[in-house]
Amino acid sequence: MGWFDVKIISEHFGVPEAKRLEYYESKGGYLNARKATAMAPESIAAEVQASNLRGRGGAGFPTAMKWSFVPKDAETVYLVVNADESEPGTFKDRHILFWNPHALVEGMIIASIALKVRNAYVYIRGEMAREYRVLQAAIDEAYAKGYLGERIFGSGVSLDITVYRGLGAYICGEETALLSSLEGGRGWPRLKPPFPAVKGLWGQPTIVNNVETIANLPWIVEHGGKAFADLGVGRSGGLRIVSVCGHVNKPGVYELPLSITGRQLIDEVCGGVRGGRKVKGVIPGGVSMPVLAADELDVPFEFDALQKDERIREVEVRPGQKFDLGGGRTLRTMAGSGGVVVMDDQTDITKAAWRIVHFFAEESCGQCTPCREGTGWLAAVAHRIAFDHGRAGDVDLLASISDGIAGNTICALGDAAAWPTLAFVTKYRDEFDAKVRTASLHHRSSPHPAPSHAPAAPHDEGGGA
Amino acid sequence: MAAKQLSNEIEARIRQLWPRFPEGKAGRALCLPVLYMAQEQFGHVDAEVIDLIAARLELTPAHVTGVSTFYFMINKDRPGRYHLQVCTNIGCQLMGAYDVFDRCKARLGVSNRQTSRDDNVTLTEVECLAACGFGPVAQIAERGKPEIPLYFENLDLKKIDAILDALAEGRVPTELGN
Ligand SMILES: Cc1cc2nc3c(=O)[nH]c(=O)nc-3n(C[C@H](O)[C@H](O)[C@H](O)COP(=O)(O)O)c2cc1C
Ligand code: SF4
Ligand code: FES
Repeated sequence: MGWFDVKIISEHFGVPEAKRLEYYESKGGYLNARKATAMAPESIAAEVQASNLRGRGGAGFPTAMKWSFVPKDAETVYLVVNADESEPGTFKDRHILFWNPHALVEGMIIASIALKVRNAYVYIRGEMAREYRVLQAAIDEAYAKGYLGERIFGSGVSLDITVYRGLGAYICGEETALLSSLEGGRGWPRLKPPFPAVKGLWGQPTIVNNVETIANLPWIVEHGGKAFADLGVGRSGGLRIVSVCGHVNKPGVYELPLSITGRQLIDEVCGGVRGGRKVKGVIPGGVSMPVLAADELDVPFEFDALQKDERIREVEVRPGQKFDLGGGRTLRTMAGSGGVVVMDDQTDITKAAWRIVHFFAEESCGQCTPCREGTGWLAAVAHRIAFDHGRAGDVDLLASISDGIAGNTICALGDAAAWPTLAFVTKYRDEFDAKVRTASLHHRSSPHPAPSHAPAAPHDEGGGA
Repeated sequence: MAAKQLSNEIEARIRQLWPRFPEGKAGRALCLPVLYMAQEQFGHVDAEVIDLIAARLELTPAHVTGVSTFYFMINKDRPGRYHLQVCTNIGCQLMGAYDVFDRCKARLGVSNRQTSRDDNVTLTEVECLAACGFGPVAQIAERGKPEIPLYFENLDLKKIDAILDALAEGRVPTELGN
């Protein structure tokens, strides 16, 4: 059996007509939404529970459990689909929106019936102008057919879907920031608890789910939750859409079994590393997630395995001292957003690490001091190291700044900057140290002392990794 | 010059979207969509546009200003005819995005977030555009043409040169984009 035998969402990717309602219906589309209008909300939720569906937005949280947090007596419940996809390395939701928008619409109908939602929203990233048009056209088609609006499919259910465009802020992918933005404000995250499922949009219970999470629902209604669970591994049901970028021969978007390992993904799906080179490191789930070294790629790219498999080293704050994730738990890595970044043996890891923390420093919303100050400082020190101005102690400094950010912020952006930095330093310490050593040799013999701060426009030195 | 006014198109969209939000919440919720559409209409969002939006949505100018400065896509200053946005984040960096970006700077004679002397092209370094597998990636927007923003993928020096040539001739090379 190849890797490609079963597909849930991506089967018709690449077919130009696939985004049209007529095509979607010719493949059985909207039968499941129609079926759901005749189902009790509880039985839909029970199928999702049986399916072991876990959130595809980053945290891998069990979808049915999240749904169960909505208070039973809630009068108004909102569904918000997170289509803000902006985690660097991740480009799967954009493909779903462009090639299969009706799967998202149908999934939203199903979720709305299960959650008793009357008004649902899609928060789509502002830069995705093309995907916005495609999704809006799909929604318009569904309205014209009576699949959205009042009494959909002639049933007693009514549902409106509104597409809301972001305006370019990574932080708005974080669910509470997204809600702040959708209410018409700055995208500032809010402290949790209360969680959105209890108190979200305009203070009402709100379920925020990722595009891919919701697009799986029609299949679950059609085939049953158990069949979905059977496709998966352990406590994780279904398949996973990963996006692969970097130094592979065939980058792209692939819907794959969760049992696939990093090595298989690169060699058997993506045609190996370009130029026949070797892998130096792989980021498994968007740049927020700790990097895997070349000898850690035989672990399945599945939520629990990436967190617990002992073949993946624990991230350290200094050599020999493990980073404490809270409650004595240690950190290996996580499946995150499914954005896989492959770096070959020619990559300057220090430059890649700098570009990543530079991103977080740019995107910090500035509400909490450890994140605002810490990410800026990380970017300055990482830049110094990467561009040959590193000083003695800088590598330890990266780790201790990261340790000071992690766990001390309102939202997880702080962790998202700290974790990968710690992992880069843990796993590629030699390269960082070597950079600092050459810098000090170089500057001892140089008549021009190194600048004491990172230059204002770092890329003026050429940022290629 | 006549005072600015929100276009009929924006007014129609406000009326269409208003009922999609709960009683009393719509004005605020429409702040982002209206900012975006006003930028499409006027090219950028200055104090006069802020006042227009605030008055129309019954918000304070301070709120609308706070929102408009928070979001990267809202231009305070008028960009050139074309807005060239080059991603240099990790997926693109690994494939040579900084070479592409440096070429843009050199040929346009600008640094990041500046507009060429002839007012033709504004260059901006942007974060991941969710096309990382096809990097380096750039997006081009054209003033007054909201249907444009197009992605240009798998850029190398040759391709970016062709794009810059076309922009200099006053045309977006749609045949190279998608
Ligand atoms: C800084 C940050 C950025 C995030 N960006 C996204 C995003 O772009 N898309 C997304 O679906 N989830 C993103 N998330 C996760 C969301 O907060 C949320 O967990 C998710 O949308 C829930 O959907 P799911 O349960 O279906 O995964 C982000 C989280 C953080 C902390
Ligand atoms: S952790 Fe960073 S991004 Fe999140 S709320 Fe605090 S300052 Fe904002
Ligand atoms: S890193 Fe450039 S598009 Fe994602």
